[in-house]
Amino acid sequence: MDNNALIKIDKITKVYNMGMTEVYALREITMDVKRNEYLAIMGPSGSGKTTLMSILGCLDSPTSGQYFLENEEVGSMNDNQLAEIRNKRVGFVFQTFNLMPRANCIKNVELPLIYAGVPQEERIERAIKALESVGLGDRMHHKPPELSGGQRQRVAIARALINNPSLIFADEPTGNLDTKTGEEIMHLFYELWKNGNTIILVTHEEDIARHARRIIKLRDGLIIDDYINQNPIYA
Amino acid sequence: MERLLDTIRQAFDSIRSQKLRAFFTLLSIVIGVFAIMFAGSLVTSIDTTVQGQIDALGENTFFIFRIPNIMLGGGDWHKYARRPLINQKVYNSFRDKMGSNVLVTGMAKSAGYVVKHNILATDPDVTLVGTDENYFLTSNYDVQDGRALTKTDIEYKKDVAIIGNDVIVKIFPRENPIGKTIKINNRPYTVIGTLKPKGALLGQSQDNLVILPLSQFLTYFASDWWSDITIIVRAPDKISLSYLIDEAVGSMRIIRNLEPWEENDFEIETNQSLADQFGSLTGFLSYFGFFSGLIALLAAGVGITNIMLITVKERTREIGIRKAVGAKKRWIVSHFIFETITLTMIGGSVGIFFGILAGGLLGILAGTSFVLSIKWIIISLSISLVLGLISGVFPAYRAASLDPVEALRYE
Ligand SMILES: Nc1ncnc2c1ncn2[C@@H]1O[C@H](COP(=O)(O)OP(=O)(O)OP(=O)(O)O)[C@@H](O)[C@H]1O
Ligand SMILES: [Mg+2]
Repeated sequence: MDNNALIKIDKITKVYNMGMTEVYALREITMDVKRNEYLAIMGPSGSGKTTLMSILGCLDSPTSGQYFLENEEVGSMNDNQLAEIRNKRVGFVFQTFNLMPRANCIKNVELPLIYAGVPQEERIERAIKALESVGLGDRMHHKPPELSGGQRQRVAIARALINNPSLIFADEPTGNLDTKTGEEIMHLFYELWKNGNTIILVTHEEDIARHARRIIKLRDGLIIDDYINQNPIYA
Repeated sequence: MERLLDTIRQAFDSIRSQKLRAFFTLLSIVIGVFAIMFAGSLVTSIDTTVQGQIDALGENTFFIFRIPNIMLGGGDWHKYARRPLINQKVYNSFRDKMGSNVLVTGMAKSAGYVVKHNILATDPDVTLVGTDENYFLTSNYDVQDGRALTKTDIEYKKDVAIIGNDVIVKIFPRENPIGKTIKINNRPYTVIGTLKPKGALLGQSQDNLVILPLSQFLTYFASDWWSDITIIVRAPDKISLSYLIDEAVGSMRIIRNLEPWEENDFEIETNQSLADQFGSLTGFLSYFGFFSGLIALLAAGVGITNIMLITVKERTREIGIRKAVGAKKRWIVSHFIFETITLTMIGGSVGIFFGILAGGLLGILAGTSFVLSIKWIIISLSISLVLGLISGVFPAYRAASLDPVEALRYE
């Protein structure tokens, strides 16, 4: 295994205890992700994609196994340290956007900076920049319900980018969008990757996965395939 | 600062999204804070007023009444009603028995008279006081202009009167009353003096009176079968007070022909004992106010906790988002506690506002110099703060300990 890997997981297992039965969402998964990889995690519904992403993003903790993020063991960290990682090193983009409906775009995007203790003026400045970079310069004072799905997902991406994280997770980012809008969002990810970000994309659509440079396939909580995409879109 | 505004805004959002529940909860905070503050302020102001009166009367004075002056919790009416009157004869013998070196005065009063001067007349609410020359030495009434009653006025049943300020205002708006004639029940009296204004005590004006010689009063404004004289005795100093009280009890028992096994058929009260009775009344009031306030606040606390729990539940997803982008536990805890405190402070402030309003109103109506102490405002605000803190802790911890993944999945 590569010691310079950004992410290194070793025999990660996640079990959900449902009373009498145990649901194995992940079974002893071992893998690495290097810096500036563009990785798609694929698999049918219920195969454990979201579970894996949540663990990699420090939103969730595994039942067993070890996780090293930039050579630090995540399992030994407390709640505050995990919050710090989610705040500074990780950016999430969700299928359902997960924006705060009553706050305008700037307020939504600046949220991570509040918890990072950035002063208000700088927050607003950076939020505006991030919104401009996703092409929403003219929608900054709108609230999510006033935006289209594609625009909402752009806001979510701007929020994920605001703290310059080294890792961006996207769980079915185009799942709620039409093909054309989805393509536009994928172009944004492509540009992020070009600029040096590491991107981990969860999807069950081949068309979306084809943007990635590496593809991991999951089934029933196991990695069944892990390969380099030979002809990605936007070469 | 901006975070504070955000919190306040969110507190208002919580109120808005649960209008009815919030209304009743805030109402119980308002009632609770109002009751506590009002009871506190009221007691403070009554105490100040009463203490002021007692200080003015002097602590060396005691009274003999037929029946107790203040009765808490009913008292034995039948017993008191059967007691014989303290009439002129009793008073005269008492005065003789006590000797001339002790200041003794008798006082009888009757309310609801009209006092006239030429065409001007008062309302039928003037109190007539019949008394003697010692009254001005034992009471805290002072003569402003003219003169006080003399022994001769009493002995010769003179048609003279000393009038209080309220009467002067009504019937002598522009004249000097001294030497003029007033009429009460068509009997003419010459005004020989005026009283120094005293203002109101517990809502009662103390200046709406006319003082007549006791003999005049008893003859024309009281009949023998109900003239009830209050005897006032002033001891020269505090040391002789208890001795004089013993002597007064002895004299009264002899006059009343009481056997040794019979109990007194009169009441002896000192200014201090009157103050103590008053104190127990205000004490009762304040405990009652404080207690009912506390119960209201307890109910409010439960209500607030409930509101916040619902708020937390409604905002589960938002909490999940906040955690996902890096909010630490303590941020979420403090956020929800602040939000709860904002809620209780709103209720508390409204309660204080009504407390001040009611206090001012009572002050005007009752004439007590209402002391709305800053102390009680601060106490009420602190109570609201603590209430918010206590009822916010549980919902806040529940919010902070939400699992981010679960919270994000929450519909
Ligand atoms: N909170 C939970 N409690 C119980 N079981 C769960 C929970 N979360 C996930 N699971 C189970 O774990 C397994 C993997 O779920 P996961 O959400 O990771 O699948 P997924 O690959 O993301 O599926 P989809 O494509 O439908 O989003 C599923 O069988 C699911 O039922
Ligand atoms: Mg999923």
